[in-house]
Parts: sequence; structure tokens; C-alpha cells
Amino acid sequence: MNRKLKIASSTALGMALATTVALAEKTEDVIISRPGLLPSAILEMTDEPGPWFKDPVDGDSLVVIKPGEAVMIKMTDVASEHTITSLLWQPGAEKFPIDQEKPSSSSVTHAFEKPGLYVFTCKVHPYMFGAVVVDDPKTEGLDIGSEIQLVTGAKVPATSDIATKLLRTFFVATTPSLWRDYTKPTWDAKLPAIPLNIAGSVVGLDALSVSAPNALSKPSTPGVGELWVNTQFETINGKKKPGSATQIDVTTWTIKKKVKGVEHDMNHPHNMWTDRAYKYIYQTEWFDKKLTTFDRESGKVYSTQTLGENPSHAMSRPGDDSLYVAINGEDKVVKLTGGERPSVQMNINVGPHTGPHGHHITHDGKYMVTPNALASSVSVVNLDNNQVTEIPTGGVIPIAAWGDMKNQIYVANLLGSPPLLSSLTVIDASTKKKVKDIDLAADYDPVSGKTKGEAYGLLPIQTPVSPDGKYVVTANTLSGTITVLDTATHQVVKSLPCEPGCHGVNFGMKNGGGYYAYVASKFANDLIVIDMDTLEIAGKILLATPEDGQIVGNNGMGGQGVLPLPIADHGWIEETAKLVGSGKLTAEVEGWLKALTKEQKGSERLSTFGKVKEHEVEG
Amino acid sequence: MVRSTATNFIPPTVFAILALSIFIVHAGQSGQTSGAAHLITMKAVNLPSGQLAYQMVSHKIKSTAGETSDVTGRYSPEPTIPGPAIVITEGDKVEVTLQHAIAKSSEPVSIHVHGVHYKIDSDGTMKALNGYADEAAFPDQPYTYKWDAALGTAGTWPYHDHTFNDPMVGSEDKGLFGTLIVNPRNGKTEAIIDGEITDIGVDEIKREFILWMHETTFWGMEVNNILEGKEIPLWTNPTVGAKLGEKVRFHILGMGTAFHTFHLHGHRWLEPGTTNVIDTTNIGPVFRHAFVLKAGEGVGTGQWHYHCHVVQHMQSGMMGSFLIVE
Repeated sequence: MNRKLKIASSTALGMALATTVALAEKTEDVIISRPGLLPSAILEMTDEPGPWFKDPVDGDSLVVIKPGEAVMIKMTDVASEHTITSLLWQPGAEKFPIDQEKPSSSSVTHAFEKPGLYVFTCKVHPYMFGAVVVDDPKTEGLDIGSEIQLVTGAKVPATSDIATKLLRTFFVATTPSLWRDYTKPTWDAKLPAIPLNIAGSVVGLDALSVSAPNALSKPSTPGVGELWVNTQFETINGKKKPGSATQIDVTTWTIKKKVKGVEHDMNHPHNMWTDRAYKYIYQTEWFDKKLTTFDRESGKVYSTQTLGENPSHAMSRPGDDSLYVAINGEDKVVKLTGGERPSVQMNINVGPHTGPHGHHITHDGKYMVTPNALASSVSVVNLDNNQVTEIPTGGVIPIAAWGDMKNQIYVANLLGSPPLLSSLTVIDASTKKKVKDIDLAADYDPVSGKTKGEAYGLLPIQTPVSPDGKYVVTANTLSGTITVLDTATHQVVKSLPCEPGCHGVNFGMKNGGGYYAYVASKFANDLIVIDMDTLEIAGKILLATPEDGQIVGNNGMGGQGVLPLPIADHGWIEETAKLVGSGKLTAEVEGWLKALTKEQKGSERLSTFGKVKEHEVEG
Repeated sequence: MVRSTATNFIPPTVFAILALSIFIVHAGQSGQTSGAAHLITMKAVNLPSGQLAYQMVSHKIKSTAGETSDVTGRYSPEPTIPGPAIVITEGDKVEVTLQHAIAKSSEPVSIHVHGVHYKIDSDGTMKALNGYADEAAFPDQPYTYKWDAALGTAGTWPYHDHTFNDPMVGSEDKGLFGTLIVNPRNGKTEAIIDGEITDIGVDEIKREFILWMHETTFWGMEVNNILEGKEIPLWTNPTVGAKLGEKVRFHILGMGTAFHTFHLHGHRWLEPGTTNVIDTTNIGPVFRHAFVLKAGEGVGTGQWHYHCHVVQHMQSGMMGSFLIVE
């Protein structure tokens, strides 16, 4: 036919016009191809704190489209792999939820039909949020919908308290100007008066605005030693990627320095650990592939090495001081030697598509327990023979774990254990069995928002056990609360106010005996100090250093990993105490150890590893 | 050849009309003449989504006989991703003027072409890279590139921005990329047709399916030779369609950072330059692979799946269909 057309048009006068008419008529028939989706809006994933899913048009994390239009979500300015995962969507929406079984550099293009709110996240970094509002132009206000389907399986009314909390958290998390800045006298998270259509009623987005006075105070009783906090979102002149490690003198509650990693563009420093002599700080770079080792005293970076996608937490094994780094974007924990340049000894695969995040090593050095963020499971690794047992738990995004002296491991499930909205799973590392789930939000009504008791913790993250074994202190990022669980009764005995993005917790030594729990939050620049004797907030310390001109944005923000020194946990403190007088500790560290009480320094019998049997510890 | 001798006995008054119709024909089949000069104006624009794209403004072809035809009508009147597919013949010369029409930006934008010859002033890079000049369009300051599709440059080639927002890399990943097809001067290409390796005429190709593999998305464009080279934007992960038995040409290109394995169900083709029969090919960034096949040969009509065979990419929807109808 093609040839015939050509011959006709090139040999007969007047045929050119006739051919054109014929072409117009048959164009529809000739074209058999059918176009795919043309994205009407784009969300570009970035490492930039806040706009993790960025609309290239206006820099927001939210795009508005009409029903039938498509959005492309792609990875643009990221140094590591992520998932593009539906966190919440409209019930009954076609081809939902969107997810991938493991992180990659994928892009996703999707057409949306049903009006309402759709929120996406990354399963590895579950505070990266991007939203699509499918707005029916015929209705008043931006359509949020009348119900919201959560990834956990729960369906909640869009007017419910939990939905309102999620919506506010979305705007606060994605907008650095709304973060709680303690260098100012008040926190005014003012949202614009954009009309929203929620279940048919029009309300202004400004109804979600919050305001609170900012008050800092130093705890009256000093701590012992120092504290490292990852101020992961600070933007720093001279490097493209954000974040620093902030060192605080807890005897004076003042900031000593910030290690910024400008030379190697340290990217999202998330969690730290140290060696038993406290010479090195091992720093994970969670939105990257690297582990960085720097000098604790000088801040000098000794080495940076690539370990895998999204290294999250680091912890040493008491006994041999070897280092274990969880590779959150893969399926492994990397075992390394310590030192200036830790060298890889082996990869421990903890199960297919597991994505281990905040692992814990038991005080006796026998087990490592990994909360598998991508697998609804926990793996127990016998560190003597590296045998792995993966235990399905039913938890959604198990994110952090900590064990007590009886090797009971508390695992925070970021999105609960359906039908529980918020939960800790208890694992017995010795028997490799799940013991139970603990409801962290038993006293909260997700629809009305009313609380009838202390059990009010939503979206739990770090969850360490106090060194005396009495309490589990959990940072809950959605409720902005710190819950204290009694390990004897498994009841939440206290719920304390935290900050937006409440995230990291760890215990440090209080001068004269006892412990402080230090709590860091992502979207605030203070550190909360809790006195574990009174279970009350003892003070709030500023993590910002406004006088430091090199920090150009988010000063003191992004609080995540918390590392108090001396390490208060048994198993580790004894290892360091053993070195007193050996010449391996600096005078400063010797001084810290001298300031400790007998209880804080721990048991004599724990000071010689390999000789301790489990029943002795249990007794 | 036949057509040019035909013009010898056409009365001068109708010569122009006929010449125009010949050009429409040539535009569609490209491969029969050589030595034409192409005068092209394109612009780089923003899409409402925030992506960037090239858009054809004007394409005129001056034949060796000195006649000029305007083929702008074959292109989409809107910006597209991938950008306009420019189809020329080995031996042709091209002048492309790029206009900067990216709103709210004064960043330089360029066209860097692969495959064909050009002088240092047409590299489409900044002075920091080429040591010669900033070879990019600025607002109200277009830049003209001169390409020479000299002997030995036949093939399917990418063109892309090399300067916007990043003077080292450019913004190809935002949508500033397109396709240059240089047909061989002899008008012949090798393909497996009815089970035999055969020389077929480029003018026998009914449809060109251009598929760019970027991240985990196919961005598509059809050049329909039945409709005189009409370009049909196909956007993301499209269905490409042909009639049973038609000879069609696929042009598979890569960009960005990911490596892909293109696979088409039910069909096999000749690995270019070899006698190997393949049904999958590796596509890395700026790799390109073109092949002709006979739609549905040996397998018939149907909706034949094509996809990237990297599992993670498949899971993200990097797939489409080759629809073959009676």
C-alpha cells in the first residue's frame, strides 16, 4: 500500500491533493500503536532533607492532578537505592498498592482515577514522603477522600485522629520551615489556608497548624562522659549531602564539636558505634553505601569504605570487639574488624529480601538480632557459628531491636502488627521464638484521638532496654511521644511528650548513679534527657550551633543515632572497664570510668568473656 | 533516478507541485536519495510536569537539485519525550538551530549528537569541556549545530542536552533526548525475513518503533512511513502496533545509568553486523540497537509482550506490547 501511494502521488498531477485527503481519512486506521501514559506530574526522589519526593515545578512534596492523569515517581538525586511504596491510598483504587520487593533505582508511572489522597514512602527510609492528590475539579477544595487505606491493612475514616496525624506529619516532615527550631522562642508550624475536601466537608489545611513555646533547660544533675548524636539533616557549606555527628559534653551539657565529613561528602550519617577503648567512631551513611571511621577526639576521618546499599546501624560484639554493620538496602550484615580502617571479614546473609535496619547484639556476644524492615521478620544469628534463624513476626517494617540481660529482644514494628496499630514484638534469642506482641497504643482511640492511659505510642522507632533491665524506652515518631514500658509487666507505665519525628534513644550514665535516656528527633533540634529514676524529663539540650557559619540549613536538625559514652550497656561497659590502667584508654576516658558507680560499671563476672554461661547471667 | 528523470518532461508550471509531492514521499522513506541539506529549528521547553523536552519548530529539506520542501507537518506540534526523530540519509548535511524556551531559566541548553560528523563548534558542550566555546542556546540566543552524515555514519543515534543545570552532564535525564536515524545511502538493510537473511529496501519499512530505555521506563515514538513519516508520540511503556507481515524497524536506545536487557516475545532478529539470531539485547546508557523484522512472522497476530528482562525493572512496569493485527 505504501508503494502504491508513492507511485500514485509521484506520477499523476493532482493526485498529491487527493492523497492528502485520503491520508487524513485513513490516519486513524493506519496507526495501530497506542500511546502509554504521559505523566502530568513528576515526583523526583532526592537526598535533600524534607522534599524527599520533590515536584520539579515548585519543590513541594505534593502534586495535584485530575482523575485519569498519571504521575511518574523517579529517583533523581539519590546516592543509594530506595523503594517506591504506597503508605496510604484510597480504598478500592485500581492497581494499588504500589511496591517493590527490594530497593532499586526504579521509576514508576501510574494513572490515578479515584479522587483523594495517596502517600508514598520508601520502605528503607520510611520518613521519605511524597503525596499525590487526585482532585476532582467539580468538588470544592482539594479532595482528600472519605476513607484512607493504610498499608497495614487498616482502613480509617479521613476525619479520624490518626488520619489527621498522618496528614500533619506529612506536611511537617516534608517542609523544613515547619520543623521545631529551638533557637526560636516558639514553634509555629503554620500551614496555608488551602481548602481540603475531607469526606464531603471543606476544611482549611491551616486547621492542622500547631504552635508551642520552646523551652530549653539543662538537667540539674550532670551526666558522665559525652554523647554523640547524628544531626543527620544539617546542610553544610562545602558538601552536597547533609548531616553531621554532634558531640556533647554531658558534664556541662554543651556541644564540643560537629564532625561534618566535608572532604568525602558524608551523606546522612545515621547511627554510630565505637571500639572498647573509645578511640574510633564508626559512622554509617544511611542514604549512601558507606561506613566512615573517624577519631573520636580530633574528628579526623581515617577511612571511608563502601559496604552496600544504605548501611543503617553499627554495633560491636562484646568479647572480640568486631564490628557488625547492617546493610538496610540489602539482605546482609557485614562483619568487620575494628580500627582505623575496618576490614570486611564476612557478609552474614540474614534472609532473602530482609533489609535489616537497627540490629542488636546481646550483652553476652552470643546472638545478633536483626529487625528485617522489608520482611516482617526478625533474624537471630548465632555469632559463634553464624547460623541464621529467620522468625516471621507479622510486624510491618520491624525497624529497631534491643535486648535485655536475659536475651529477651524487644523489636519495634514501625507500622504495628496488624491488627495492632503500634507494637513491640518480644523475641527470645536463646530459643529463637517469638514470645508476644505488646500493644504500644492500647490506650489510644485512633478515631477520636482520646487516650485513657499511658499506652500511647504511634510509629515506634528506637527501643532500647535500660541497662538495669527495668524499662524499655521507645521513641514514637507519629504520636511524638516517648513510651516507657515496664519489662516485668510489659505494661506502658509512662508516656512523655517528645518532638516531631521522635526517633533515637539510648542510655547514658548519670553522675552519682542511675541512667539518663537521651532522645533525639528528626524534625526538631533539641535533645530530650529523661531521668530513669523519676521517669520524668530532666532537661532539653539544644543541638544547633547558630554561631557555626558552615552550617547553612537545618541547624541541629535530623536527630537520629544516639551514642552515649561510656556505653552504659552491660557487656560493653565491662569490656572498657577492663582496660583501666592498661594504657589503652586516654586519661579522659579513665576519668569517666572512675566517675561511675559500681552498679554502672557492672558485674565483675561479665568482665571475662567466654567464661560466662547463660544461666549465670539469668540468675 | 526514475523520479528525477521523470521531472525532465514535466512542464515548468507544475514542476514545483510535483517536486513537493516527491519530497513528501522521500520524507517518508528516506533512503533513496542522498546529499540533501536539512534546515531544522527546534526548541527546548518545559512540560507542565516539570520535565524538559525538545520540540520541532521547522524542518525544511533542500534537495541536491536545489528544491526546498517543508516537512514540519510530519512532527508532533507539541514537545515530546523522546524528542523529534530526525530521519536523514547517509550523505546528508544538517543544520539544527536550537532555541531556548525553558521558562524561568537562563541556564544554557544544548544538543550533543552521536554518530555523525561535526566540527568542534557543534559539540553541544560548554567551553569547560570542549576548550573552544559555550555551544549552547541561551534565552533569545539560539545556537546552530552543523552535522555531516558522512559516509559510514548510517545508523540510529541519540542526541541529547549536555549543558542544562549541569555544565558537565546536562539534563538528558529530565527528558532532553531524541533520536537521529541515518539511513544507509544504498537504501538497503539486512534482516531475517521468512527465515532468511535478506537485504531489504529501507523503503519497504512501514513503521519505525523508537523505544528509549531510561531508568525503568520505555519512552516511545513511532515514525509511520505509510503516513509519509508522521511521528506519533507514544510516551511511557506504550503499545506499538503493526499489521501482520509488515516489515517494521525497532530502534532501541538507552540512557541514564541503568543497564537493561530488551526482549520481545515471539520474534527474533539479526544481531547487526553478524549472522547471529537473537531475541534479547543488552542496552546500556547510550547504547543503540536497530533491527528490522516481519511483524508476526511464524507466530501470527497477537499482543506480543516486550520488556526489560532485569527483574527489578519488570517489577516497576518496564514493559509494553507489540500488537499485531490482521
